Amino acid sequence: MIDPNDLLFLLQGVPATLAISFLSFGIGFALGIPIAVARQMSPSLSYLMEAYEKAFRGIPVLVFMLLFYFGLGGFVPFLKDPFTCAVVALGLRSGAFQSQIFRGAINSVDKQQMMAALSLGMTKTEAFRYVILPQAFIVALPGLGSEISLLIKDSSYAFILGVLELTKHADILRKASRSFVFPYLMAAVLYILMTFPIANYLDKWGSRLKTKYGLR
Amino acid sequence: MEVLACKGLRKVYGDLEVLKGIDFSINKGETKVIIGPSGSGKSTFLRIMGLLEPPTEGKVFFEGKDVYGENLNLNMIRAKIGFVFQDPSLFRHLTALENVKLGLKVVLKMSDEEATKKAMETLKLVRMDEWADYYPAQLSGGQQQRVGIARALAMDPDIILFDEPTASLDIELTWEVIDVMKDLARRGITMLVVTHEIGFAKEVADEIVLMDSGRIVESGPPEQMLKSPKTERAREFLGRLLGGV
Amino acid sequence: MYFILEYSQFIIEGFYVTVTMTLVGLAGGVVLGVLSALGDVYGGKLLKIIINSYVEFFRGSPLIVQLLIFYYSIPAITGVKWDALTAGSLTLMLNSGAYQKGYFKGAIEAVFKDQLIAAKSLGMTFPQTLRHVVLPQALRIVIPPWTNEYVSLGLSTSALIVIGIRELTNVAVSISAQTFRPLEVYLFIGLIYFVWITLSLKVLDWVYNKVKIPGLAVSEVM
Repeated sequence: MIDPNDLLFLLQGVPATLAISFLSFGIGFALGIPIAVARQMSPSLSYLMEAYEKAFRGIPVLVFMLLFYFGLGGFVPFLKDPFTCAVVALGLRSGAFQSQIFRGAINSVDKQQMMAALSLGMTKTEAFRYVILPQAFIVALPGLGSEISLLIKDSSYAFILGVLELTKHADILRKASRSFVFPYLMAAVLYILMTFPIANYLDKWGSRLKTKYGLR
Repeated sequence: MEVLACKGLRKVYGDLEVLKGIDFSINKGETKVIIGPSGSGKSTFLRIMGLLEPPTEGKVFFEGKDVYGENLNLNMIRAKIGFVFQDPSLFRHLTALENVKLGLKVVLKMSDEEATKKAMETLKLVRMDEWADYYPAQLSGGQQQRVGIARALAMDPDIILFDEPTASLDIELTWEVIDVMKDLARRGITMLVVTHEIGFAKEVADEIVLMDSGRIVESGPPEQMLKSPKTERAREFLGRLLGGV
Repeated sequence: MYFILEYSQFIIEGFYVTVTMTLVGLAGGVVLGVLSALGDVYGGKLLKIIINSYVEFFRGSPLIVQLLIFYYSIPAITGVKWDALTAGSLTLMLNSGAYQKGYFKGAIEAVFKDQLIAAKSLGMTFPQTLRHVVLPQALRIVIPPWTNEYVSLGLSTSALIVIGIRELTNVAVSISAQTFRPLEVYLFIGLIYFVWITLSLKVLDWVYNKVKIPGLAVSEVM
């Protein structure tokens, strides 16, 4: 019933999908923590960061992709590459989302912990680095899990820019094989096989660590 | 006239036998107090008598009718058995007044006007009428518990069951609730109370019932139970309870 | 940027489609979300399995793929022909229902068991308890997290472009192609989304403050 060649063709889209997702997650991670900490520690920077977060929470990521690709591609050469452009747009949005996740996690850490660290003579930065962030990271794990699976799903927007990821492969296969059912359904299954274990694993890992360290 | 009774009541949770055969009855106008160490099955017994869960074995009688034997509408009987919980369990989205009104309107099908009138009267009885428009979260534990009593009382039940109504309250708050309960006992309301407030039992109970390990160990009028209990187990438990006061 | 005003008719039509599709998806999603949450909390084993497979499918795969399935695959399997708007609405409803189920389930579970027992002790039936105790509490608790779903579905409607629906992003693509001024066009369209979402959040916040009750919020419950 299922042509193994069709399946193989679809599977060729998986690496690109995972690459977009993990690269943009990396960008988001690199942006998210400093922004969360900066918003916590410096009120003046806060406004700028807040504007950035609000922009990415209030405008579709597809509009950003189109804006970067067609609008800025002329000035910024690397945005002319659809793959890079998708990674940048998703990565910037992920930074906004992850900063929110880390901010929530930092706020959930008991205020006494900061006091205790300061009472030992640590600076505020040291207290953040050695006491608050390690705890916040554990609390943030389930949120990070959902963020990765969100990125895997939203990497499909790159299909609209023509990136050869999983959805694009399914679309090509639909046109080539004239089969309207298999390509898309199989693609959905492959996406679920990618999103489900990752989100689940981080969720379980997070709650195990939370119990271990008695965090809420 | 017998209001509530049970025969051969057993309750088993998994491997754990919580009630091991209980015979009990309470008549109209009586106040009975159940005491006993924690884990003795008092609360389970009370919940079964309140028809909040079924027994594993045995019969529950309400006004002479076998509750689970005949094909009776359990909800209509529950409406006639008031229940006051340890944690007041007020409906958190409703004000004190609305909490008391809900059962009147939904179960007894009173009009809004009737229900308001009845609820206000009852809140006055528990001295909570001035707090009618406050939400549970805005009331103290003792105030919440008095609203809980009013919610049960307003239904004009034939009996009210109290499951350690003061156990989670501070001492001062305990008094305001106990005062209201004494009031009700004096008005002739039939009450079955699980509590460790021995003063309450002494003053208003017709009978004290001691439970231990899922059985009724001994029961009798307060004077006799408190001064000269017959069983060794009762002497020991009451000795500790009274000694601690 | 005045050239964009020449296309205001287009933009307004696109915006109308975007808002309508969002509201249709949310409304259908509320119904599906509440029903599946109730089924998952109070239902039997089989029902739970069915509900969770539905949720897993729609939460685990991209909306774009779901849209393609509803536009191409389902008509091919069933032989029932429908237009893009129907396929799009159905997909958005089912997709949103799967996410909303999570929010409603959390809120229903936040209505503690003691509330159900208290209702039982008054002689209330299960449907009466649902209507007078569980839903009034759960619906209030759910508003703040539910707000996220409004925003995320609203922005996700841009995916409707893949089945050719003329929503706001699709309109932007056409204008950009006609005018060769993508920078201004996408910035302007982005601004429309931004203002719409921001205002919606303000309205939802106002509604929440209207109906909220002391002691009844997610943070105070959990």
